[in-house]
Amino acid sequence: MQLRTKAMLLVVAWLVLISALHSYLNVNWAAVLNDYRPIEKRKIIVAYLPVTCQLTCPVTDYISRYSTSGEEFLPRMFQGFPEMKEALISNRVQAAFIVAPMALALKAQGVPIKVVYLGHRYGSAVVVRKDGPIKTFADMRGKTIAIPSRFSDERLLLFRAMKVWGINPNEIKMREMAPPDVSGALAAHAIDAFVMGEPFPSQAEMGGFGRVLFQAREYWPDYMSCILVVRQDLIDRRPDIVQVLVDGIARSGLWLDTSKPHREQAADFVGRFYYNQKPALLRWALTKPLDRVTYSPLAPRKADFDLVRDMMIETGVLNKKLEFSEYTDTRFSDKSSIETPWRYEAATGSAQ
Amino acid sequence: MSELKSPRVWEKSFWPIAAAALLLCVWHFAVEWTGTKVFPSPLSVEKGIFELAHKHVLWADVADSLRRVAIGYGAAVVIGVPLGLCLGWFPAVNQVVNPLLQILRPISPIAWIPVAIIFFGIGDPAAIFLVFLGSFFPIVVAAVGGVSSVPLIFRRAGCNFGLSNFQLLRKIVFPAALPQILIGLRIALGIAWLVVVAGEMIAVDSGLGYLVIDSRNSGKRYDLVVAAMLMIGVIGLILDVAFRRIEKLKTVRWGFRNAT
Repeated sequence: MQLRTKAMLLVVAWLVLISALHSYLNVNWAAVLNDYRPIEKRKIIVAYLPVTCQLTCPVTDYISRYSTSGEEFLPRMFQGFPEMKEALISNRVQAAFIVAPMALALKAQGVPIKVVYLGHRYGSAVVVRKDGPIKTFADMRGKTIAIPSRFSDERLLLFRAMKVWGINPNEIKMREMAPPDVSGALAAHAIDAFVMGEPFPSQAEMGGFGRVLFQAREYWPDYMSCILVVRQDLIDRRPDIVQVLVDGIARSGLWLDTSKPHREQAADFVGRFYYNQKPALLRWALTKPLDRVTYSPLAPRKADFDLVRDMMIETGVLNKKLEFSEYTDTRFSDKSSIETPWRYEAATGSAQ
Repeated sequence: MSELKSPRVWEKSFWPIAAAALLLCVWHFAVEWTGTKVFPSPLSVEKGIFELAHKHVLWADVADSLRRVAIGYGAAVVIGVPLGLCLGWFPAVNQVVNPLLQILRPISPIAWIPVAIIFFGIGDPAAIFLVFLGSFFPIVVAAVGGVSSVPLIFRRAGCNFGLSNFQLLRKIVFPAALPQILIGLRIALGIAWLVVVAGEMIAVDSGLGYLVIDSRNSGKRYDLVVAAMLMIGVIGLILDVAFRRIEKLKTVRWGFRNAT
């Protein structure tokens, strides 16, 4: 064989090897092939952000892979609420974890979605710079604080605190930012404070530049922020799929709340395989203390949502007095109330 | 060869308007026929523009964007043109500096956003800095090219008339290079307008770029998003037309050696 042919063969073999490795290691074939399956067999796509408010989504996906029924849906990670909202509106994803006020606002604007379940309770905090000038909430006057969206419970939480401290709404400047950007912005002095879901408060704490000013529950008992919404056409067409999804989320919530080892396991696999965050960070957020964020009970309650709706109207981001029954579908959460936690331990490699 | 007929006066504005109207019609009926509930029709966009104007945000945002472009672009002109003239005048210096310029030039101003925020914080200076960066390099490169393409015979003639170096630069080289510099300025203005919108999406909380993001964040209000986009386009067009007017001035016109 000539040298040239040899070299060519080597190059071709190299290319084949690299392509094969790439498609084996990097391509998520389940997601790629999903679009080409017949509609009734197609898996739904559930959108989530890398925050602990939505931890049940990756936990359900991970554990259900080890169960006899196999994976239940395709999770897709986003980096901010606007992108997620667009994917949901244009039917690129069929279900999503979004903040409760955004679900109400989208519903009021005519997007066909229904709230079927909650994502968590608690787990949001106001964080300021450790050595900064803000010692109490009263020092927040004239400062800039980052919020995830104008339609977020975190913003409403600020309004609750402002009422307690007698601060006018226009005395604090709010900026909408993508959650993954905030702790960097705080460290770089671009903002004075932020209010976000975990693990970003923990990130600022661990990094040594942030201090939790207060946790959400101090001003809002039974605080909830992220909730699971599903498109109406999916509910009409395949209620069984929605039920499986809600059941899975409910079981993951119970599993997370059973013991500290479960939380540590979750921190490990979610951090490595889903959020691309350090497991140590998630471990901090999930276990210091254990009730920093909780995952049960998560059935939607009218009182919670009426509170959110009234506060949205009061703060000028909603102009319609929506009724609870218009934007929620509680039959799935009713049925899932008999569910038990997953029976899954990390070492066994099987789940029930 | 067939010669192009020069268009009549009414044709000059009629056909562009007709083309725009046709596009609007296509857009309108595309929205109607596909029955989309997400993408807005031209009518709802028009309503969106009025809503934005009514809330008094539109004009403030337009003014903010224009102010940032004026300052950033103005600084780029004031620094870039003399620098370009110098570099063109001293080719030895240009040889030293040019590689650096060519490394910095292709870096998109958007890539500078994180650095700009670290340097200037969130606010006007960051956005102005981005505009400056975006327009500075095209201006310098155009000025260098303009100076070095001035025919040697012009300079020699100037020398023969006993002009000093500075006079030569001011009276001969600069006017002769002006057409090329102007083309650079016009390109830079277009880039400045592109960059200010992108910069406002991240670094500040006013201006047309912010208006797009703000509209996007307010739920399913894509009529407002498209309205803001249209305003950006229309103002870009106005800037370009205004600049072409300058190019047509008599004092500038003579330099177009190849023009009839």
